[in-house]
Amino acid sequence: MQTSKKLFILLFLMALSVSACGGAATEPVGEEQATEAAPSTEVSSEAEVSGDLVIYSGRSEPLIQPVLDAFKAKYPNVNILLKAGSNSELANALIEEKANPQADVFITTELLTVQSLTSEGVFQSYAPAGVENIPAEFVGEGNAWTGLTKRARVIIYNKDLVAEDEAPASIFDLTDSKWQGQIAAAGSTNGGMQAQVAAMQQLLGDEATEEWLNGLIANDVTFFGGHTDVRKAVGAGEFKIGLVNHYYYHLQLAEGSNVGVIYPDQGEGQVGLFTNATAAAVVNGSKNPAAAQAFLDFLISEEGQKLFAEQNYEYPLLAGVPIKEGVQPLDNFRLADVDVVKAAANFDVMFDLIERVGLP
Amino acid sequence: MEITRTNITYQKIRSKISPRLALAAGLVALFVAVPLIYIFVRAITAEPEAWTRLFQERIWKLFANTLGLVLAVTAGAMLTGVTMAFLTERTDLPGAKIFRWMLAMPLAIPAYIGGIVHLALLRPRGGVIPKLLEDIFGQPVFTPSPLGFGGAAFILTLFMFPYVYLLSGAAFRTLHASLEEASRVFGRTPLQTLFQVTLPALRPGLTAGALLVALDILAEYGTVALLRYETFSSAIFVQLSGRYDRSAASVLSGILVVLAIGILWSELRLQGRARFTQMESNWRPAPLMMLGKWRIPAFLLVLGVVSASLLLPVGVLLVWSIQASLDPDTMRTLFSTGSQGFGNYIWNSLWSSSMAAFIAVVLSLPVGLLSVRYPNQVTKFISRLCQVGYAIPGVVIALSLVLLVNRFLPFLYATPFVVVIAFVLRHMPQAVRASESALNQLSPSLEEASRVMGRTSFQTLFQVTLPLILPGLLAGGSLVFLTSLKELPATLLLRPAGFDTLAVRVWVWAGEGFYFQAAPAALLLVLVSALPLSFLLRREQIFK
Repeated sequence: MQTSKKLFILLFLMALSVSACGGAATEPVGEEQATEAAPSTEVSSEAEVSGDLVIYSGRSEPLIQPVLDAFKAKYPNVNILLKAGSNSELANALIEEKANPQADVFITTELLTVQSLTSEGVFQSYAPAGVENIPAEFVGEGNAWTGLTKRARVIIYNKDLVAEDEAPASIFDLTDSKWQGQIAAAGSTNGGMQAQVAAMQQLLGDEATEEWLNGLIANDVTFFGGHTDVRKAVGAGEFKIGLVNHYYYHLQLAEGSNVGVIYPDQGEGQVGLFTNATAAAVVNGSKNPAAAQAFLDFLISEEGQKLFAEQNYEYPLLAGVPIKEGVQPLDNFRLADVDVVKAAANFDVMFDLIERVGLP
Repeated sequence: MEITRTNITYQKIRSKISPRLALAAGLVALFVAVPLIYIFVRAITAEPEAWTRLFQERIWKLFANTLGLVLAVTAGAMLTGVTMAFLTERTDLPGAKIFRWMLAMPLAIPAYIGGIVHLALLRPRGGVIPKLLEDIFGQPVFTPSPLGFGGAAFILTLFMFPYVYLLSGAAFRTLHASLEEASRVFGRTPLQTLFQVTLPALRPGLTAGALLVALDILAEYGTVALLRYETFSSAIFVQLSGRYDRSAASVLSGILVVLAIGILWSELRLQGRARFTQMESNWRPAPLMMLGKWRIPAFLLVLGVVSASLLLPVGVLLVWSIQASLDPDTMRTLFSTGSQGFGNYIWNSLWSSSMAAFIAVVLSLPVGLLSVRYPNQVTKFISRLCQVGYAIPGVVIALSLVLLVNRFLPFLYATPFVVVIAFVLRHMPQAVRASESALNQLSPSLEEASRVMGRTSFQTLFQVTLPLILPGLLAGGSLVFLTSLKELPATLLLRPAGFDTLAVRVWVWAGEGFYFQAAPAALLLVLVSALPLSFLLRREQIFK
């Protein structure tokens, strides 16, 4: 009798804890099937483009999926095969496959990877329709790659736990011991983080960057594999502060969390806001160049750019496409002045540093 | 395990080894050995700079981390496994019969899936349990963190102990009552008997279980990556997705392989020395120990282990899956995320694992035939060589295959077959062991009779040997299928674009923090794994 009673209590407790794992949390994905843009000046007609299109994407799957869906709706004969992973993992694969190319298109979340792959001769030059409307600094030399969207590295904070005037105004405040154990960030395998480290090395030198990274580690910053974990943890109040790309703040806000955002380092003498861009390129030896080119055309078309802006709150690079309401225009901020080509050339130095400090 | 086996009659060395058989077995051994040798060569010929860089900064820490985890989990799994086996086999524990089954089932749950669930429950501050406690008590209550060394050791122990449990459970069942009775007669207390007689007699089973656990921990990627504890396996993965240089990854792989072979070798030494013989005749089971006032604590202990390793993970996955199915947005992502649909992942998982199982069993046949029918140093060596794969982590096999296939067999590169080859290489040992044990139980006189009656060796193989050892081969195949289904790191690295398995989907979704999307795939993976596992357990007569 006693046994069964205890068993009952235990089972009851278990049921309780299980049912508490609630909290619906889903990404807004492809809500409205993007409004059909006016037929652009595509060279090949939509029915002609067909076959398998192999895309290696450093952008995480949920963030690229709406764009793929819209492309697929436009080109129903194309069969999209997606391999999503970290930028550098896929970059390694592309280098490995140079003699035996598998991918048609590569999409990345920062410019350093495409820039270094360009020097490895991984891409073929292609000027997508409308590339002249993309700022020249976001197009690779000889049209090796094309920039898609911009994003800023910002600080997200939980408004229930941190007052607005108390939130750190600089990324260097993140090493302040008053935030010890309260900060989340993405770790060394994350492209956004890698690019920020490389950019800091260029602007501030190795020593200052190393000091900053060591400061983060000493401050017990928790490093996650990706930014989704970071924003959710800050939104849930697990951490007071997170270092993320700006749209993760908006995604978290859209989930109903009470979070705020700081575009850091705007003060006199401070380094400025770190930004980066996503980019796409056609792989050298692509087996389906027609589809690959159509895909790049689509990515920088008004329709594609709108999707990035609307679904992901990013800054579209195509002139004339508005940012989503609520997103702060980059014109309001002073940006850190990073030379992508130079930073890409020093990619190895960045990996050395990350390994040296033992960034998780 | 098998304490008695007198197969003197089977060990007659026949005068001539069939050259065809020797050739086939040799080719299989070569197939298995090439990726290993290749990674060694890459490691040794890596630029000295990679070596010095690694030696200065990383290797010692990785060494300590990896060995620490291996030791902790092996010890934890032995303690848990033997305790559970003892309680369910040798005491009047209430519900022992159903517990016997439930304690083996965690084998169907990949450790990283268990880790995902425990992480969601226990995560410091954000986990379900810390939050619940905070709500109840009005202030944060300390809960153990599932992250880092302690968490990784705890979670891996939870999902690895069934190996030890199964093997020591079988040993407890076959152990002769007279052994312990003799000890008691000579004045030893029951406790002394347990530690001085019973446990030492279990040693063969225990070492085999410990070996499986230790090698699995060396190879483990998903769990340690999830819980942010760095071992050789996860460091290799980071290297592969870091700088554009494979040499550091090769160096780490080379060291990991040496470590694994070291463990394998020490097991051989341990196994080699211990011999326990008991007579098959007048066997009777040892009497059950009466737990008395310890019945309830013992029951709660077993229930706790079963809850943490089976009921909670499956329950949470079930709740998440239900929540996912109630939300149309999640449902839509579930069926369209990636480039293919959900059915596609299931199909990929099933066919690649079945194909790996089939190939592994077929390849294990010549090796088994050679080493069982013509036992000598050379054939034993070939058999051992084919079992080294177990000691090689998936990530190393994947790295080796990426480099090898892309270089020498470019037409195979980025096809699902490379994934299948990785499964075969990694899990072949299970097939070889199953084939050998099945052949061992088959008297060669049957085959000889068939030959005398005028059948060729091929006819004999297909008409006599194969039908008779089929159940054993099926068991081997089920094991390969089961472990291939769960395989993560090799699949992650080798999969061509668009080829996702259930395991990969779970990992990708959970890695993005989308636990509801991950849950249905995880649940399905567990259910599909449970089928071959039940078949194996039934065969081993776990359900009696």
